[in-house]
This record gives sequence, C-alpha cells and structure tokens, in this order.
Amino acid sequence: MTAVAATAAKAPALSVSVRRLLDRYVLRLYVILAVAYLMLPIVVIALFSVNDPIGRSNFAWRAFTLDHWLSPFGVPGLFDAVATSLRVAFLSTLIATTLGTLIALALVRYQFRGAGSANLLIFLPMATPEIVLGASLLTMFVSIGEPPFFPLSEFTILIAHIMFNISFVVVTVRARLAGLDRNLEEAAMDLGANEWTTFWKVTFPLILPGIVAAALLAFSLSIDDFVITNFTAGRTVTFPMFIWGSYRIGIPPQVNVIGTLIFLIAVGLVALSVVFQRRSARA
Amino acid sequence: MFLRRHRWIVPYALLTPGLLWLAAFYVWPAVQMFVSSFWSGSVERGFTFSLENWTTYPDALDRYSTQFQRSVLYAGAATILTFMIAYPLAYAIAFRGGRLKNLLLFLVVAPFFTSFLLRTISWKIILGDDGLVFGPLKTLGFVDDSFRVLATPIAVISGITYNFLPFMVLPIYVSLEKGDQRLGEAAEDLYAGPWRPGGTIAGAIASGLLFALLGVAFGYSVPIMAAAGAVIGAVAGTLFLSEGFIRVTLPLSLPGVFAGSLLVFIPALGDYVNAALLGNPGTNMIGNVIQSRFLVNNDYPTASALSFILMVAILVAVAIYARLLGTESLTEGRRL
Amino acid sequence: MTDRPILEHAVTRRAFLAGTSMAGFAAFLAACNAPGAATPTPGGATTGPTEAPTEGPSAEPTEKPSPAAELNFANWPLYIDTDDEDETKHKTLEDFTAEYGTVVNYSEVINDNNEFFGTIRAPLEAGQDTGWDIIVLTEWMAGRIVRLGWAEKLDLGNVPNYVNNLVDVYKGPDFDPNNEYHAPWQAGMTGLGYDADVTGELTSVNAYWDEQWAGRVTFLSEMRDCVGMALARLGYSRTDVTTEQYDEAIAELQKAVDANIVRAFTGNEYAEDLVSGNVVLAMAWSGDIIQKQYERESLRFTVPDETGTLWYDNMLIPKGAQHKYTAELMIDFVYRPEIAAQIEAWVNYICPVKGAQEELAKIDEELAASELIFPSDATLAKVERFRTLTEEEESYMNDQFSALIGV
Repeated sequence: MTAVAATAAKAPALSVSVRRLLDRYVLRLYVILAVAYLMLPIVVIALFSVNDPIGRSNFAWRAFTLDHWLSPFGVPGLFDAVATSLRVAFLSTLIATTLGTLIALALVRYQFRGAGSANLLIFLPMATPEIVLGASLLTMFVSIGEPPFFPLSEFTILIAHIMFNISFVVVTVRARLAGLDRNLEEAAMDLGANEWTTFWKVTFPLILPGIVAAALLAFSLSIDDFVITNFTAGRTVTFPMFIWGSYRIGIPPQVNVIGTLIFLIAVGLVALSVVFQRRSARA
Repeated sequence: MFLRRHRWIVPYALLTPGLLWLAAFYVWPAVQMFVSSFWSGSVERGFTFSLENWTTYPDALDRYSTQFQRSVLYAGAATILTFMIAYPLAYAIAFRGGRLKNLLLFLVVAPFFTSFLLRTISWKIILGDDGLVFGPLKTLGFVDDSFRVLATPIAVISGITYNFLPFMVLPIYVSLEKGDQRLGEAAEDLYAGPWRPGGTIAGAIASGLLFALLGVAFGYSVPIMAAAGAVIGAVAGTLFLSEGFIRVTLPLSLPGVFAGSLLVFIPALGDYVNAALLGNPGTNMIGNVIQSRFLVNNDYPTASALSFILMVAILVAVAIYARLLGTESLTEGRRL
Repeated sequence: MTDRPILEHAVTRRAFLAGTSMAGFAAFLAACNAPGAATPTPGGATTGPTEAPTEGPSAEPTEKPSPAAELNFANWPLYIDTDDEDETKHKTLEDFTAEYGTVVNYSEVINDNNEFFGTIRAPLEAGQDTGWDIIVLTEWMAGRIVRLGWAEKLDLGNVPNYVNNLVDVYKGPDFDPNNEYHAPWQAGMTGLGYDADVTGELTSVNAYWDEQWAGRVTFLSEMRDCVGMALARLGYSRTDVTTEQYDEAIAELQKAVDANIVRAFTGNEYAEDLVSGNVVLAMAWSGDIIQKQYERESLRFTVPDETGTLWYDNMLIPKGAQHKYTAELMIDFVYRPEIAAQIEAWVNYICPVKGAQEELAKIDEELAASELIFPSDATLAKVERFRTLTEEEESYMNDQFSALIGV
C-alpha cells in the first residue's frame, strides 16, 4: 500500500518531466511523422511521374525517364482540363470564401431573428449526398433552359462549387471567430475608429488565419470534386473528370506530373513567402 | 451613420449574398429531391407524384438499415481517429511552428490538391497484399501470408481518415492559434503539484470511445474493447495531458474541435468512394447505396428518400452534439 | 515520347501475342488470312459520302445539306487515335476537318454508362438538346436510349460505308434490328483475366468458384458481365436468359461471396490489383489485359470454354442533336477501312469494320494479326451478347444484383 502511495505521489513530478521531454522531442518527431504520413501518397505519385511504362498502364515501376516532365501536357485534352479545374477552383474559392466569411461574421457577431434557420441552411448542403445534389442541380439548370445556365458550361460548374464550398467556409471561419476577444474591437471603437476601419484594422487581421484555412479547404474540395462536377459540366472536362475517365484505359504519367506540380507549386510559393518574410524581417 | 442607427440591418446585409446563393442553388434542388422521394414509376413509364408513396421512407430505412449503421460506425471511427491524429499536429503547428507555421499548414492541405484517385492508387501500392509494407513483413514471417488490409473495413476507415484529415487539422489549428500559449503554461504552473484527474479522464473517454467503435466495426466484444481503450487512454492521458492543457488550452480549441468533427463526420457519412475503391461487398456504406440506387437502378425515389433521411439524421445529430459539447454559445454568438 | 504509340513496341507486342493464351488462337491463325474476303466492295466502300450519297439500301435521292461548321462528339477517354508527333492531336478528326471543313469538338467526358446516362437524361426527358451530336455508349445502354426514343434515326443513305462495312456479328441486334439508330465504335470481350504464374492456365469459369484463391478474386460490378459468368457455369445462355435462370445465377454468385472467394466487385480497378498481385483471377475486359501485360508478363486473358461476354460501344445521335447530318458524315467516315485502321492502330480494341484488317496490315502486320483486335470466327463463336432486357426485367435484375454486391 505504501509503495503504491509513494508511486502516486511521484506521478506528478514524473509526468512533468515526461511532458518536458515530450515537448522537446516527441512533439517535433510527431510533426515529422504526421507530415510524412500525409506526404506519402504524393511521393508515390511523383515516383510514377518519372516512370517509363511500355503500355498505357502505369502501376508497376519499370524505368526512369524525364520525358513526361518535358511534355507535361502531351496528352490530348489534359491541358484544357487542368486549366478549367484551376480556374474553377480559384474563382469558387474566392467567391465562396467571401460569402462564407460574411455569413460567419453575421452568425457569430450578431444576434438576430432567423439565425436558427440560417444555421440550418448552412449545414444542409454538407449533409446532402453529392450524387442527389448534382442530379437535382442538373434538373434545375435544364428546366431553366436558358443561358447562362443551359447549355451547361464552366459557369454552371462554378455555381455548383461555390454552393458546396460556402458551408465549409462558414464552419471553418466560425471556429476562428468563436470566443475571439471582442475587447480589442471595442477598444478601437472607443478610440474613435468607425466600424469599417475597426473591421479592416482589427477584426480582419484577427480572423485572417481562419479565412486562409477556409480558403485552403475550399480549394482542395473544388479542385478534386468529381460527382457534382460531372453532372453540371456538360461539354466541359475538368482534371478529376479526366483522371477518372482515363482510369479505364490507363492514367497517363503526365497526370502524375501535373498532380506533383500542383503540389510543388503550392508548397513552393509558401516556402518562398517564408524565406521572403525572413529576409524582410532581417532588413 | 446609417449603419450606426440601423444596426439590426448589419447581420442581414452580411448574410444576404451567401444565403441568396444557397437559396437559389441549394434550396431548389433540395426541394426537387424531396419531391422526387414521393415519386413512383420508372424512366420509361415516367414518374408520378403521390403522397401515398411515403412508404418509400420506411421501406428504405428497413432495407438499408445495415448500411446506415455501418456508415455511422465508419464515419464515427474515422472522426475520432482524425481527431487523435490531428490534434497534436495542429497543436504543434500552432504553438511550436514558429516561422514555419504557414508552410507546415500548407503541407497538411497540399496533398489534397491532387486527385483523390491518384492518392488512393498510391495507398494501394503502398499497402498492397505483397506491397512495400506487407511484402517484407510476410517474407520475414511477421504476418501471416493471407493477411491483408485492402478490401477490409480497416482499409475503408483508414481511407476516410486520411482523406478528411485536413478538415480536422485546419479548424483546430485556427482556434488554437488565436489563443496565447503562455496562458496554458501559466495554468500548468498553477495546477502543478498533486495529481489531478483531468488528463486521465479525458484520455480515458476519448480512447475508450474509439476502441468501442472499432470493436463494433470489426465485431469484437464492445465492453472489452471499451475497457481496454479506457485503460490505455487513462495512462496516456495521465502522462501526456497536463491540467493546464485540460483547463485552458482544450476549452480554447473546442470551437475548432466542434467544427473539425462536423467537417469530417458529415461528409464521411455520405461518402462512397472510399468504400467503393478500398472495401469489399460487406463494407458498403449508405453513400454507395444512394449512388447505386440513383445511377444503376434509376430508382430516384429511394435514392432521394435515403438522402433525405441522412440529412435529417445529420441535423438531429449536430443539434445534440452542439448541446453536449456546450459549443452552442460559442458558435452561435449567444454570448454577446 | 509520352503515351507510347503501340507501333514502337513491335517486339514486345510480338512477345506478348506469342505468350498470350487466346482460346482458339491456332484456329484464328488458320482463318485470318482472308477475313476480309467477306467484304463485298472494299474499294467502293472507301468513297466519301459526297460522291455516293445514294448508295445505301434504303437511300433516297434527297438534297444534301452542307456539313456544319462544328460537330460535338462525346467519347470515352483515350478511345481514338492520337498523333505520334503532337499528342494533342487526333489525326482522324483532323482528316475529317480537312475533308469537310467541320471542326470537331471532341470531349472525353464519358467515364461510365450509368453516370453519363444520368447527365443526359434530364435534357432528353425535357426535350432539350443535350449539346452532343454523337455519343458513345455500350450496347445495353444504347438499347435503352433507343427504346426510350432518345436516339435520332440514321439516314442510311448518308452512311454507305457503315451499311457496307459493318462486321456481320453486329448486324441486327434485338434493340435495333435494322441498325438504324446505332453504329458500333469498338468492341471487347469479358473473360478470365489471371496471373498464369499463380493459377496456371485457366479455361473454365469454374475457376471463379475455386476456393484455392479465396480473397484474391475480383468479380465485375457490371451486372451483365458478372452474371454472365454464372450463367455460363450453369450452362445457360446470355442471349435467351430467363428470370428463373437469372435467379439461379445470382444464387451461384452468392455462394462465391459467402465462401469469401470474392475480394470485391470492381470496375476498372481490378486491372491495377492484377498488376500489383493483390488479385490473381478477375473477371476482365480483353482490351485491359493487353496493356497490363506490359507490367506483369504472366497475366493472361482467356475466353472461357463455357462462353464469355461480347460487348460493344456504339455511336448514337441523341434526339435533338443540332448537327445530325454532320454526325452521320462522321459515322460514315470512321467506317472507311483506312480510317478504322488508323483508329485501331492506336486503340487496340476489337474493330467492327470490315476491310480494316487489310488496311491495318499495311501499317502494322502484327497488330492486324492480333486475335484481340480481329478475333477469329472460332473466338467469336465463344462469346455471346447479353440479350436486351425490358425495363421491368432490367429493374428486377439490377435489384437482385445490387443485393448481391451489398448495395
């Protein structure tokens, strides 16, 4: 009994030192492992982008080649598909992030009649299975039957992507806004700043990480959406549609090149900005 | 000046553009979906609407209850798994990321800018029956030759977990990052001293729940799994979770945890691609049923009814969850 | 140097063809010397429609409209020839433009019959133009479109090459007895795809029920392909299957599921599993195995002795298409043997055009001799088409099959 009691008494001290150790090494190691885990498929994708398959199938390693990197768009239709996907992803992210952030601000910062129903309307699109949503949207576009909704086009894809992105943005930005200290804003107002200035000088910088996170999620949803896009695309082909389609005969290695490139460019830009910030901080 | 005098207008002005968009491009299709759940007929004969077709609902529930339950289990297990993987990662990026914060954050999301299909094919290459991982293990005799991960429930749950991970990491990160970490450390000093039960309890609950769900998913004894999970969690929690963390940092991140678990759980419930590519005939989820009812069987009424049931179930679950977690005040602005 | 044109790999291809266990291969070699002998007028058939607008059997001398400025063509990805020099170009389409001045908007938007049907159903039901002038769908789906009255009737006078050069086996299917609504694009066979190093040579569908490979066998999630194998095992025929026989077949498949033999019901992903070795036996499509053999040489495709499935994808002109006449010109164009050969040299599925084999021989003798592109009569005798189902039958059968595969 006494031994147990002694151990129990030592436990806090032990756990504090364990925690110190944890903080210094284990947490760092964990980040490395977690990022490696997230990165693993990308490594395989990149590996097969320099593979030189004989046939049209690219699942087994054969030989190294840079050919596909030298002609990343050397597959008919691939360039248009990638360009379309990027345009739709950028625009839908931009618009949905704006609209969603405004909604999040309203829901967290104000009390008003109808907040409950607004909340409901935010959750519903996330909860609706894509296939039914896509098909119903198509039926709607067809029944309107007039441009710009019909014939289907990149515009109708964009409409759909903004629609399903809004909810994700609202939920993410709200996580940032919730519990944010209002005192700063009130102090600014007390100092005579109007609401507009207060928002841009105080609120916006505070919630910016949330907005960026929401935009990243929206971008990843949009650029990889297949089901809803397939219903609203008409004659347009997006990157995911191209990939799912080419799966039947063999995904060309150029698709791996593009996939790797998108990843590298995204990460590269941020890495550059980190370096740049460091430089300007020093200067 | 106008706004100062008519402050009540502000929230509506903020809401209007986004909600109009949803009203135009979500509500109409959703109503259409609801209407078509009361159809009967076929593509060739045409469909007719009648309220008498309400029986589609109980029929669909009855017929596909297995897949409904399986969806809840898989999505639930995946949500807890993403939480357990994401929380330490988000914590580390927010408080230990330093200048690399943004880069690390990007590294978390950027893999998901590439195609789902390519990622899944890659995982299948890595986890193949005789692939990079299990090939050597089998050669060395560590695992049985007939062992496999692909085409099992583990594969489906892991697939969902991987693919929804950024949706958990980012919200937790943004809610943690706004807080001052020194607060947590100060609290740690405050609560240093005799052992307190916070970490132990939190660890036991989280891990016990996860193990229980995994038990249900794989058909092991649930009480035994839950107990084992609770013990493991209690030990881990005692060692790793400080009282300062439990009392200060964790509450601070609750809105993020709430948001993250919604962003993972809700889409995961309706997911079908992971089960389609990584599962076997016994792992189909409700999303697979809806997909097949709609596309293959042209059974639009059942597909719509199932979707509607799913939506209502999700809304109810979200309401209960919000209340349980006590985040309503945090997320709905009741505080002001 | 990206997607390798097949011509560059003649040696590999020869090695492959030699190693492939095609049932009836010997019989084919004997018969392949003159398969085009049956073609009635190979020379005349290559004339353009402008010269021979009234050659077809049901042709009437009507005034011909001029070709439209554009043609909207929806097809499956990687399903048409691609220029060796500039891989963003399709020579067949450029030739068409050169001849008729029509720009072809060729989109590779079709990934799946059911999915594509989902996207064109709404406009067709509403009497709207789908935006497409030509779509390509597998015969059972083509049959549904024809049955629904959603396909334009071809003016056979405008498609003399099609009328003259269609290989006999595709003539007069039950959904379109006079071949007035559809024109086959490419065909393929469903049979045993396996890793001969593990399983040895397989010739019977009974292999799918062999517990020896439990957990390493995939079945197709395409109902007709999958149930067809069970029908073949039971000695029934796909061409006149009854509901009772169908039920028996489902029960037979259920046994394989219950015995945990079936790893998964798959679409295209089975090919990837065969390559990686996760799966040693699959219900497979002939065209896939040609490609996957490059990655795993021990893979084989065999049409089972009990019969395999013949399927074919078809060009259709959806109702309300804006450029029907130009679409007919295109259909006729790809039925010119030299154009068909040009497509075939790249696509490698089964060619439905008479005379294409001789034309292909001029480009690549070896390909032209391939049993998988121009199957012999002996092989064709071993494959059968799943009969066209009524809507009630299809709905019933799909329901039974869905229950089997767990959705």
